[in-house]
Amino acid sequence: MRDWLPFEWVAASRFLLEGRLQSLSIIAGVSIGVGVIIFMSAALTGMQANFIRRVLSAQSHIQLLPPQEVARPLRGDVAEAAIVQKPYQRVRSIDQWQKIMKEVAAMPAVTAVSPMASGPVLAQRGEAARAVTVLGVDPEQYFRIIPLPDKIVAGSARLTSSDIVIGVDLANDLGVTVGDKLNIAASSGATATLTITGIVDLGSKGVNQRYTYVALHTAQALLGLVGGVSSIDVTVADVYQAEDIAQAIAAAEGVEADSWIVTNAQFFSAISAQIIANTTIRFFVGLAIAFGIAAVLIVSVVQKSKEIGILRAMGASRGQILRVFLLQGAVLGLAGSVAGSALGALAILLWRIYARFPDGTPYLPMDFDWRLFAGAAVLATLTGLAAAVAPAIRGARLDPVVAIRG
Amino acid sequence: MRKAYNAGMPNEAEVLHGVDLALPRGEFCALMGPSGSGKSTLLNLVGLLDRPSGGRILIEDRDTTGLDDAAITRLRGHSIGFVFQYHHLLPAFTAVENVMMPMLVDRGRPDDEMRRRAAGLLESVRLTPWRDNLALNMSGGQQQRVAVARALAMSPALLLADEPTGNLDTQSAQGVFDLMREINRARGTTVLIVTHNHELARQCDRIVELVDGRLVGERRP
Repeated sequence: MRDWLPFEWVAASRFLLEGRLQSLSIIAGVSIGVGVIIFMSAALTGMQANFIRRVLSAQSHIQLLPPQEVARPLRGDVAEAAIVQKPYQRVRSIDQWQKIMKEVAAMPAVTAVSPMASGPVLAQRGEAARAVTVLGVDPEQYFRIIPLPDKIVAGSARLTSSDIVIGVDLANDLGVTVGDKLNIAASSGATATLTITGIVDLGSKGVNQRYTYVALHTAQALLGLVGGVSSIDVTVADVYQAEDIAQAIAAAEGVEADSWIVTNAQFFSAISAQIIANTTIRFFVGLAIAFGIAAVLIVSVVQKSKEIGILRAMGASRGQILRVFLLQGAVLGLAGSVAGSALGALAILLWRIYARFPDGTPYLPMDFDWRLFAGAAVLATLTGLAAAVAPAIRGARLDPVVAIRG
Repeated sequence: MRKAYNAGMPNEAEVLHGVDLALPRGEFCALMGPSGSGKSTLLNLVGLLDRPSGGRILIEDRDTTGLDDAAITRLRGHSIGFVFQYHHLLPAFTAVENVMMPMLVDRGRPDDEMRRRAAGLLESVRLTPWRDNLALNMSGGQQQRVAVARALAMSPALLLADEPTGNLDTQSAQGVFDLMREINRARGTTVLIVTHNHELARQCDRIVELVDGRLVGERRP
């Protein structure tokens, strides 16, 4: 016995060692549960992070648009049934966009803004033609929001007035490469012949087939937006606040502000559903762990009732007996979580090594987050403690006479 | 100073009826009687493990009636030592650790003084070579001697033994008895021992007889 360990600890550790098989099997049970929780948490976090990374790799956090054009019936005060047809939303400029840009950039939650003129055009080369979207940007500002140069697979992200950068799937569809010329025609009749300076991979096939980048002036000329911009891209510090910030901007500036959250509502609700399902599972696993520890300790109290009686006869207080069993619960929880963390870490490691597509890209990247393991340890210890309460009270309440008599 | 125990009629089934027993300090007293006569119950009452439904128990002239559970537990730990019929050592602990247990419970943390005292007690019961044996690795007689040493750990004024030799062979039984006798003489510890063994009872200072919950007589052998 070490000198600094109090009586409760000595008794608790000896009792646990005495019932070695019991202790080990419950620790095994707890560790499996903790390992499952850790692995599922890491998978969920990885999935969320992965999704956000992919969505936001080609999309800004918030996009500001001119307010929607609304058709208003001319007759105001007479109540009458009318069918109002929503007008076609033309490519229009945002009023006073420079002022708006400056004001939004000054907001503390905003980290970058960039103007954009975009609209539908036809991209042609010889007989091949594709309907694409042209995005006219100012490279210096835009690359701070979407780092196009990082996504280049061929050529470079140079955007002088005669350059165009296209997605990799569009390049495949049209059969073009860096250096080739593309004919761009807008519905207004304006055309331009641009040289492909770079090909990018924006992370999803749909985007790679449709997005083409040109200089801001080039797009303005094509789309009839001289001096104007059709949208402003905004990056914020906390991506999860994007919708709140978007609403603030919309209210302050009178523009329409779409956050990535709203634009990807379906994905987001799928993620939310995942989180709920995952959390429910983890909760019930935790509950099972608690009941397992409680069961073991109840049996232990019954088995050790003579010893409890003797300790009480020797002058041990009810409080001391209580603490002996509470400690056992905490130790079982802690030991189980340490073993479970090891199991979980092993599972994550194996996943990182083996869960990959044939070309080597991972199904779902997972990271080691030390907070997950620390959190699991704390939670399991507290669970063990809570599970021990009922058995410990029972043990403390044992009548020594009855207990000793057996 | 005398130790006086005036036990009334305790417990649900009225096991004891009007028992009035006084043990003078330093007496070695045997409690005998047929099975079911309430000897264990009386012992438990004297040892403050149980409370009487009527009457009082005085330890060293101190009335225990009004004390709460915590106070009774403390008094028990400091003033009373128990030796049970089945050794009731803690099997997961060694002999010396078992002897240290009452002190550990009292003071909370082990220290050298406790260890020395425990070693000394083991020496006095002549079990020093077995001090680091786990309790379950010892013979019945040895375990009982450890139990006696443990009962003395807090230098109690009163030693209670409930058929301590019941499970032992004649030689071991006499050995344990002699041990308790020796302690009684050397330290003046009052001893109350429940026994069926007439041979051993004859070696006590006084024999008290309990039949159907009543003290029917006493004699000095």
